[in-house]
Amino acid sequence: MFPPAEPVPVAAEALAASGPLPRRGVRRVRGERALIRGALAGSEADLEELFRRFWPRAYRAAYLIVHDHAAAEDIAQEAFVRAVRHLDQFDRRRPFAPWLGAIVVNRAIDWARARAARRESVDRTLEPVAAPDAGGYSHEVLAALASLSPEHRAVVVLRYLLEYTPGEIAQALELPRGTVNSRLRRGLDALEHRLREGERA
Amino acid sequence: MNAKRALSRVRAPDETGAEQRAWVVIHTAYQEGLPASSRRVRWRFAVLPVLVAVAGAVALSPAGATLARWVKHTLGVPHASSALFSLPAPGRVLVSGPGGTWNIAADGSARRLGSWSDASWSPHGLYIAAVRGDHVAALNPHGTVMWELARPAVSKPRWYPPSGFRVAYLSGDTLRVVAGDGSGDRALATGIAAVAPAWRPGRADGPYELAYATRVGQVVVRNASTGRPAWMARPGLKHIRELAWSADGSHLLVLTPTRALLYSQNGRVTATFSPGGPTLDGSFSPDGRQLALLTGGAVDRVEVGSVSSGASSLRPVFSGSGLRQLAWSPNGRWLLVSWPVADQWVFARVVGAPRIAAVSHIAGQFGGRVSPGGGFPRLDGWCCQRWPTGQ
Repeated sequence: MFPPAEPVPVAAEALAASGPLPRRGVRRVRGERALIRGALAGSEADLEELFRRFWPRAYRAAYLIVHDHAAAEDIAQEAFVRAVRHLDQFDRRRPFAPWLGAIVVNRAIDWARARAARRESVDRTLEPVAAPDAGGYSHEVLAALASLSPEHRAVVVLRYLLEYTPGEIAQALELPRGTVNSRLRRGLDALEHRLREGERA
Repeated sequence: MNAKRALSRVRAPDETGAEQRAWVVIHTAYQEGLPASSRRVRWRFAVLPVLVAVAGAVALSPAGATLARWVKHTLGVPHASSALFSLPAPGRVLVSGPGGTWNIAADGSARRLGSWSDASWSPHGLYIAAVRGDHVAALNPHGTVMWELARPAVSKPRWYPPSGFRVAYLSGDTLRVVAGDGSGDRALATGIAAVAPAWRPGRADGPYELAYATRVGQVVVRNASTGRPAWMARPGLKHIRELAWSADGSHLLVLTPTRALLYSQNGRVTATFSPGGPTLDGSFSPDGRQLALLTGGAVDRVEVGSVSSGASSLRPVFSGSGLRQLAWSPNGRWLLVSWPVADQWVFARVVGAPRIAAVSHIAGQFGGRVSPGGGFPRLDGWCCQRWPTGQ
């Protein structure tokens, strides 16, 4: 008999717990510059604070672009590892989130483009790894996002999840500002159209 | 519904679990990125000439002359069998080379499993983990793919003994762990050296402790379920080439180019073998009581000794120029030594009366080529003492 797997998280359960992530104690909120300075000086507590602050959005952003939670976890992890390794090169006068977000989103776009060439499993009798089974808003939003190309998804996610300005999106994705605006408009129109259809159904 | 508001309310699956797992990886990357080994570089340069001088002295000494007498066969064992008709002990041998991966039965019959490499047996020989390009897969002994994952630059998949409930593998410099059925694949650590990870033998259901080498030359043993380190050796062991646990999980063998180190289960060095030449391969016997070492020099030699007695108990088993790899038979009575330049496999009996048996034309039989640099089929393991029925 093939060895059984350890239980893996069921996506629907995880999505149901959609509240804010648990806070770890009450502490004075420190600015990200101070956290980066502390992490560079060897403070693991500062690194952890930085990580906890920025991880949820990085993971969600990757997930909304690739629609595969295992891949999203990998992408966000790799982005953080890269950020940690290059922390000393980071310009501390700039905000940390756009820098990290650009790494996440660009990796996610690359992954989504390459996905068609990859086979995740050849044994159809095995269950997929915790297939996302979103419910409620999440399901509809995911379905609507799935109708967009990875490039359009990325622009929408950067604008409305990570709250980039169109100028920051243009910089992060190395696109002309006009292209960003047109992708945003088309992406948002498509999303609202799909969501309205979902409501009527 | 407003699309912007809906988007902001989306949550990804298992956010808390993903966050905990990611923190382990990022914390590890942070710790391993801290400057730790820069001071060691200088004394390493100082030690190198000393090591070279010691190696030279050994070669010219009476002990070196004794070594020279062991050399009976420089161009291969004479009267070797022209083909592999049988193995001298039960079990099956797994080999990989340019011709793909082969599963060789005790009667000498061989089945090609496909264009795979870096293969390894599951603990009871029920499955084989192998890689191909950007894919890691589990196969049955007939070569049927049970599951397959796409990850970049995969290598060195290893099953958890004794149950096979986990497989560890490398993807670039990231160490990843997947359940035995291909589910739950995730990263455990990053900044990993290109050395096969080694599971510490334990109970069927864990704890799943995994030894690996980092790029800064540190050996780390980490619990793959919790991500917590069990112990970490001091960094600076550059060019670690192999890690292997004894069958009872009490000793970890760490091979570097010049030494073989034995660590206790708590991370203390209990024995050091410094053969005076390069250490090429090393392996615990299946019962974990003996250690076989393949070391290089004017002549490469295979020695076997008791783990408890250390270096003083090493006794010569076989020697020749250009030996490459070792594999114990599952019953612990034979050692299989690969000899690419002679295009031979040599079976050396290490229990009871010494005996040598050799087989020629190995490269031709398994789709490889005779080459000291590579291309000769690589030994991926000899498994198992009790072979599952129906295989």
